[in-house]
Amino acid sequence: MSPKRIIIDTDPGVDDALTFLLALASPEIQLEALTTTQGNVTLEKATRNALSVLELGRASHIPVAAGSMYPLVQPLRASTDVHGSSGIGDARLPEPKSKPIAQHAVDYLIERVLAEPNEISIFPIGPLTNLAMAIRKEPKFSKAVKELVIMGGAIQENGNVTPLAEFNIFVDPHAAHIVFHAGIPTTLIPLDVTHKCLLKQEQVDRLMKIKSPVTQFIKDAIEIYLKFSYDRGFAGCALHDPLTLAAIIAPELLTLKEYYVDVDHSGGVAMGKTFADIFGVTQKPANMKVAVGVRGDDFIELFIQRMEILARSITE
Amino acid sequence: MAKRILIDTDPGIDDSLAILLALASPELSLEGLSVVHGNCSLEQAVANGLSILELANASRVPLAKGCELPLVQPSLLAPETHGNSGLGYANLPKPRSRPTVQHGSDLLIEKIMSNPGEFTLVAIGPLTNVALAIRKEPRMVDALKELIIMGGAIRHEGNTTALAEFNTYVDPHAAHIVYHAGIPITLVPLDVTYQCVLMASDVERLLKIDSPISQFIRDATGFYMEYHDSYQGIKGCVINDPLALALTFASELCDYQELPVDVDISGGVSTGKTFADFYNYDKKPVNMKVALGVRPRDFIELFLERTEGLSRKIP
Repeated sequence: MSPKRIIIDTDPGVDDALTFLLALASPEIQLEALTTTQGNVTLEKATRNALSVLELGRASHIPVAAGSMYPLVQPLRASTDVHGSSGIGDARLPEPKSKPIAQHAVDYLIERVLAEPNEISIFPIGPLTNLAMAIRKEPKFSKAVKELVIMGGAIQENGNVTPLAEFNIFVDPHAAHIVFHAGIPTTLIPLDVTHKCLLKQEQVDRLMKIKSPVTQFIKDAIEIYLKFSYDRGFAGCALHDPLTLAAIIAPELLTLKEYYVDVDHSGGVAMGKTFADIFGVTQKPANMKVAVGVRGDDFIELFIQRMEILARSITE
Repeated sequence: MAKRILIDTDPGIDDSLAILLALASPELSLEGLSVVHGNCSLEQAVANGLSILELANASRVPLAKGCELPLVQPSLLAPETHGNSGLGYANLPKPRSRPTVQHGSDLLIEKIMSNPGEFTLVAIGPLTNVALAIRKEPRMVDALKELIIMGGAIRHEGNTTALAEFNTYVDPHAAHIVYHAGIPITLVPLDVTYQCVLMASDVERLLKIDSPISQFIRDATGFYMEYHDSYQGIKGCVINDPLALALTFASELCDYQELPVDVDISGGVSTGKTFADFYNYDKKPVNMKVALGVRPRDFIELFLERTEGLSRKIP
């Protein structure tokens, strides 16, 4: 089977960076491009981190297009407590030598998708601003996207930015509303499952047995995040974004259910809350598949194995 | 030197009158139209825009097709106000010209960014195109000289819900983006436009000049007057958009107050309501100039003189 062609829309971000590395380490995936957005960090840092991590993975041939600098309606916010002020923890990657392409991410997404209808899947792992703008700018976009696999939402799980809301959706709930209702085949990877995919200190130590800029980067990038997670009582740090790729490389690890899903953007206490109509009380047709179960330890093991292979192939 | 303007529009009867007023005014150089959903579907609005330009021998003005849906809200069109074609009883020939390949929001970005501090944008439809342009190119905010918006009902009753004016109600999220972008804005709400009523006698005066322009105005406003009569009990028709356009070169027609203005996007009964904080309860900075007083007869007279002039030029 030929590898699945994907574009990752991203706000790197520690777990975003790990997602690129996992994509590069996975023969089932052909990573076509990264499009960047504000979120975990500002757009400027997000774009720089994307370029740097691709260089680290010896993949600077992959184009990076910079996108939205602000959420649609909500004010800008970044999460430096989790990702550090640079966005990639304490990792110190060299300034990237490569540059983003001149085209805006929204136009790049539209151009790539319309040029090859039903060929390109998009994996949004940050706020959905770029996707929402592409959908509204080009009405033919939604029909031409093969599939979306979105990291976002907390369905029956606590929020990670308000008691109810998950970060990516909370940052731009209006964009999420647009994307959820665009009619694109969508799979949602919410906190309900990502919180079961926890990377632990001993697993980082195992990776460090291989001497490589890749393992060094993972250790440095993840340190703040790991401490933050242990402090909050988690048994490790959740690999939210990388889990989206399980939809391609290990779909058997995920349990999916079809639901009607929406997001609150009314500005009250539930602002940014993603909810599923589990009992069908709204009588509305399902608009996406939601991951409701995962074999988390198996996914973490797969992630580590892939990183070990990548690390062995990149030694200084 | 003529003032360089762009119009973002959903033509629309009063939009068409605003476009004609721009073309009839030597003070202005109309350099582009970006078209948006609103009074009628995008497709219809584009065709209407092109037809109006052709009617006034102005097909040289580039017209770009913009957004066909509001950002977040479901689509809402206004066939009861503007007729099924968007132009009332007017039946213009199918346009021969075509829209540019560029998207409406990109036309705005390109014109404004390549001429910083030069352009006045007159936005007389829902603000979807303008909001999208601002989010795609944040530097546009500093490059735009001035933005005049027809929209909102500050103390006046709404014309779409009890509280909300049509353009703002159709895409309140876009309005929220535009209001808070930091652009120098003049808002032209229903508070002033509803004083500017074009009467049947005004149209009769215009018809003394035999021209496709005067005939178009008769056919378009005929329907519009019937709407105002049956829905709002108003004799004549309110010409909202031309007033906003006229303020580009005749700002003295209105009196203004600088105010912090916002729009409700919460989804309750006041969704789309544009409100001003007159007593500054919220301690927020002023973000626009709001037209709250108008000399309506002066404006109607200006509109008639200009359209008479254009009618004479195009027999």
